[in-house]
Amino acid sequence: MHRCVETFLPLCLVIPVASAAPVDYLGEVKPVFADHCYRCHGVSQQKGGLRMDTTASALRGGDSGPAFVSGKSADSLLIQVLKGTHDDISRMPYKKPPLPDAQIELIARWIDEGAKAPADEAPQSEKHWAFVAPVRAPLPEVQLTDWPRNPIDRFILARLEKENLKPSTEADRVTLIRRASLDLTGLPPTPAEVDAFVNDQRADAYERLIEHLLASPHYGERWGRHWLDVARYADSHGYSIDAPRNIWKYRDWVIDALNRDLPYDQFVIEQLAGDLLPNATQEQKIATGFHRNTQINQEGGIDPEQFRIESVLDRVNTTGTAFLGLTVACAQCHDHKFDPVSQREYYELFAFFNNQDEPNLELGSPEELAKRDAYRARTQDIEAELKQYADSIAPKQSDWEKSLTEERRAKLQEEARTALLLLPEQRNEEQRKVAFTAFRDQDEGYKNLQRKLDRFKKDEPRVTTTMVLQERTRPRESHVFIKGDFTRKGDLVTPGTLKVLPPFAAKENPTRLDLARWIVDPQNPLVARVAVNRIWQQYFGRGLVETENDFGTQGIPPTHPELLDWLACEFVAPSLPESSTAATAEPWSMKRLHRLIVTSATYRQASRVRQDLVSVDAHNRLLARQSRLRLDAEIVRDVGLGASGLLNATIGGPSVFPPQPEGVMTLGQSRRPWIPNEDEGRFRRGMYTFFWRATPHPALMVFDAPDSFSACTRRPRSNTPLQALTLLNDQAFVEFAQALAMRILKTPATSDHDRVEQAFRWCVARNPSPPERERLLELLNQEKAAFAQAPAEAQAMLPGRKDPSLDTTQLAAWTTVSRVLLNLDETITRE
Amino acid sequence: MSHFPTHPDLRFLTRRQFFSRCALGLGGIALASLLKDQSAYGATSGAALNPMAVKPTHFPAKAKNIIYLFMAGGPSQLELFDYKPRLNELNGQPIPQSFIEGKRFAFMDSSHGTKLLGTRRQFKRHGQSGAWVSEMFPHTATIVDDVSFVKSCATDLFNHAPAKLFMNTGSGQFGRPSMGSWVTYGIGSESDNLPGFVVLQSGPRGPRGGSVNWASGFLPTTYQGVPLRGSGDPILNIASPPGITARRQRDSIDAIRDLNLARLVETGDAEISTRIAAYEMAYRMQSSAPELIDLSGESEATLALYGVEKHKPSFARNCLLARRLVERGVRFVQLYHTNWDSHGGPGENLEGDFEKVCREVDQGQAALVKDLKARGLLKDTLVIWGGEFGRTPMGENRDTTGRNHHIDAFTMWFAGGGVKAGAIIGETDELGFNAVEDRAHVHDLHATILHLLGLDHKKLTFRFQGRDFRLTDVHGELVTKLLA
Repeated sequence: MHRCVETFLPLCLVIPVASAAPVDYLGEVKPVFADHCYRCHGVSQQKGGLRMDTTASALRGGDSGPAFVSGKSADSLLIQVLKGTHDDISRMPYKKPPLPDAQIELIARWIDEGAKAPADEAPQSEKHWAFVAPVRAPLPEVQLTDWPRNPIDRFILARLEKENLKPSTEADRVTLIRRASLDLTGLPPTPAEVDAFVNDQRADAYERLIEHLLASPHYGERWGRHWLDVARYADSHGYSIDAPRNIWKYRDWVIDALNRDLPYDQFVIEQLAGDLLPNATQEQKIATGFHRNTQINQEGGIDPEQFRIESVLDRVNTTGTAFLGLTVACAQCHDHKFDPVSQREYYELFAFFNNQDEPNLELGSPEELAKRDAYRARTQDIEAELKQYADSIAPKQSDWEKSLTEERRAKLQEEARTALLLLPEQRNEEQRKVAFTAFRDQDEGYKNLQRKLDRFKKDEPRVTTTMVLQERTRPRESHVFIKGDFTRKGDLVTPGTLKVLPPFAAKENPTRLDLARWIVDPQNPLVARVAVNRIWQQYFGRGLVETENDFGTQGIPPTHPELLDWLACEFVAPSLPESSTAATAEPWSMKRLHRLIVTSATYRQASRVRQDLVSVDAHNRLLARQSRLRLDAEIVRDVGLGASGLLNATIGGPSVFPPQPEGVMTLGQSRRPWIPNEDEGRFRRGMYTFFWRATPHPALMVFDAPDSFSACTRRPRSNTPLQALTLLNDQAFVEFAQALAMRILKTPATSDHDRVEQAFRWCVARNPSPPERERLLELLNQEKAAFAQAPAEAQAMLPGRKDPSLDTTQLAAWTTVSRVLLNLDETITRE
Repeated sequence: MSHFPTHPDLRFLTRRQFFSRCALGLGGIALASLLKDQSAYGATSGAALNPMAVKPTHFPAKAKNIIYLFMAGGPSQLELFDYKPRLNELNGQPIPQSFIEGKRFAFMDSSHGTKLLGTRRQFKRHGQSGAWVSEMFPHTATIVDDVSFVKSCATDLFNHAPAKLFMNTGSGQFGRPSMGSWVTYGIGSESDNLPGFVVLQSGPRGPRGGSVNWASGFLPTTYQGVPLRGSGDPILNIASPPGITARRQRDSIDAIRDLNLARLVETGDAEISTRIAAYEMAYRMQSSAPELIDLSGESEATLALYGVEKHKPSFARNCLLARRLVERGVRFVQLYHTNWDSHGGPGENLEGDFEKVCREVDQGQAALVKDLKARGLLKDTLVIWGGEFGRTPMGENRDTTGRNHHIDAFTMWFAGGGVKAGAIIGETDELGFNAVEDRAHVHDLHATILHLLGLDHKKLTFRFQGRDFRLTDVHGELVTKLLA
């Protein structure tokens, strides 16, 4: 099912007309082999034991013998298979369009001419860049020596200078603080924070700002949400039934881990195998929720094993995407077409994840647990009472049996009818039980007690749980699934890693923990590159490797390979002294990496589009400027909450239910309730909105939040009319506008002019230009006049919670203005 | 040091001046054309501004629009179209082992039956084509000469949610784009005031899997299906909030646009022009969507043809809305109707419950084909009818005897938009278990549907995670017998 799409390579070689000149192997033949043969008969794969990357190896041949016989093209296997005339071997290239006749003729002629090739022809050995460990390149020399602020800038500037481009000037301070605040915490700065920063005369004002933001607990929320995309976090099981689940403790673990700057290697280890660490703490167990974020199918009639395996496959695929940046999923059904990942290796990875139970971990406080246990003791008492009662009525059974009419007998279960046809002494143990149960269950007193017990059990106090992984004591056997079909078991496999990456220290029965340690081994050429690239892309809208989830041979090579490698090395083994407070530079510190990026001159550039760049670098890959980036779905909400002053900044806890349009939940198969919070939960940050996989909150989806079915490493940024309808009309955003209007009117100000400026700053941090301010005042005055004429419209616009101290006309007019401000492109954009 | 061109000082005493200043200052940004005609923001301003703009097909198209009547739950072909007298004769006999060896079914462990179940429904041949239709579909029986039946459809997956995904996206896994997304991504939509891909639902519950059935997967979210709701506002957030009159909404959007334009001049970011266009489209949708669902302009005769009660949500009403949507240029309309899951349990037996769901769809679907034809829309509109799979020839014992999910053979029908009229394609064996002639797998149907729209299913690709994805994955052969 999960197959790579075959791509058809264009045949772009120009074929020279046959001539007297001998065929040039290197210029004419080898390129054809490289384009059409190497993928299966080269360095990464040798189908049929054949390698075509040197003439010598082709002559050595494979399982079917030499590829050709020098001087005899007609007898050569190669020509026969290219023409499709061989009896046993399919036409080559396999399942691809045939080579043009002219190309086959050329190869035949080369064979007939003696298959001449250089004696020192080297086999294809070049390892794909991403599979070679990064090395720290020396910092490049640059001309504009006063521009770079740190090594990042040297790499960026060197490349720009190569293209004769100049970097942009630094963004103004207001833009800088809004940019850094949104990037690091996801919240807009308050006007007071803006003023403090703008007026901070100290040389290291910006660095101080960054330290302040990195120390904010909201940093963990902002960057935690990015990670939760990768982790495919959601609050429900998915598939069709989509029942709710409890795994928010994992979400909170992520936030906390980032806030305490848990080193990335440890961050990975705990999520993959926290349960297997020696003396694993409760927190480390919670971390294994990472791989419990798979869907669970509760539909009737399914084969549970099929969906257990779906989860395991997803864990393998996500591990490949999240940590290695490889599309290992391609190897589920067959050897990877492009990257050195065999199907067998895929199932060797699979074997690591095939040995877990999937329990819920109870996380109650001692008091909660004691309360729950006491309740259970009382449940047991009622159960004993029930048992006692049943015993007490047993003597009446024979009377009841005698009194049974045919009609009543017919209503009983078949087993009971059978048992009751027999005399009591003829019944076996089972039948005696069945008969007694039938009698007992019709007794009114018994029924009442049973109902009481059921009710009591239902009210048992809930203890917080979270979903975790737990290693099985008896491991399951793992097989290759032929063509990826779990019903077709192939070879038995044992846990193992990808051969193209550094070797896996041999060990008896390796576990997930061994796998996790192998993944974060500094020798692994991928893990650090993938991590720094993914962090980089959040700041610039695009990774240094644009295909952030494919570092394989089909991915796009890095725009700045030396910078990527330098960052990866610096991440794993810091060389630069730590900036301000910390004494030693911690390896794998994510905060350190953030600091490095956001204090660079590259990051601090203005984002204005430059005419001189439009034609040479339209997509801003060279970073001669910053980019304007539309905010992520959750942050669109957070900015509205921040600007309106409604934000409840509580961190963590169970997910919440802000308002959403009516009818959303009816779109799922199971109609689940959505009862909006009326308490402070209504104004929590977007990342805490309860996420139903089948019916996600529309305001999130419309702004491209991931569907959480599989790992998402980069969100698209769409720009649609439904977004406009959401910001204009959605109840949540209308409430923000109303609150912003009230905030405006309740804040002391001398004039509407001042009020407009204040409100503008709440939304976008900067002051409006005079024309912008005038345009808003024009709207305000027009609205005041209109509402004065139509007081009913003004009433209709106002929220339920009215403030009698505020004038209705004023408030309604300001609500219109607030709504405009909250809808501005700039409000939902990081500039 | 300054690397940028200087922008004009914005002083916009009047809007006209503001606009002319903006246009002057834009340089390479083609806002001038955007501003030439204020009503032309967005859709008509080309693909750069509107991802839904009409795009060229790979070859001339036979169909412009699609109306897909999705019978959610898997209707029984054996009670509707696939007449098997032999099955009736063998009623109650065990199915020969050779049929079921190596097969997997839903509910295998519990109630799966192995005894053949004949149908109690009467069948007759209808029309010139002589197509078999049972007494359950008296209205549908009158359109058989405009319809092609494919009796040999086959799929891979036998649970509802994955099978529905498979029928919609060509994959049982979540995260792939649905057919409607592929189509609007491929050729856009002719409507500039309604979404290009619209979903309507009826029946007692939503289709299993919910919105993933019309999700855009890895395609931009612009292409996801927009559900039109059966009652209340037709699109989420389509109504302005209380107190916001149409005038006020317009004035607000004008102010947003002016301020966005100012920022566009300041930053040079073309995304802002896309956003301006999106707000204009949103504004148009606010009036066009209510107009769409307002049936007061439909004649009594039309309402009677469909059997629509004006304000009551129903499948028939959705059929009428589907016609109104394609009239307005919407590219892909998908209707879901539940519940066809006739296992035999409460609410889903093959008796009264089955009769009920048949009644719910019969008149509306027949009326749709007739109405489209009468209005000259059928030749451009492909109507597709079918579920995610069919039902087994064996009975399934629940409260009553029903039928289980069946993936090896089931019937779908197609009408209009370049398909043959009155053709019967494919045949099943005497028990209706396997397709024995012209087997049409889901991938083949997808390839054929795209073909009718002028799209080569091998060329309609999107690069994601290092791979070129297609609706048909690596499969798909045209069902040529279906083509007119």
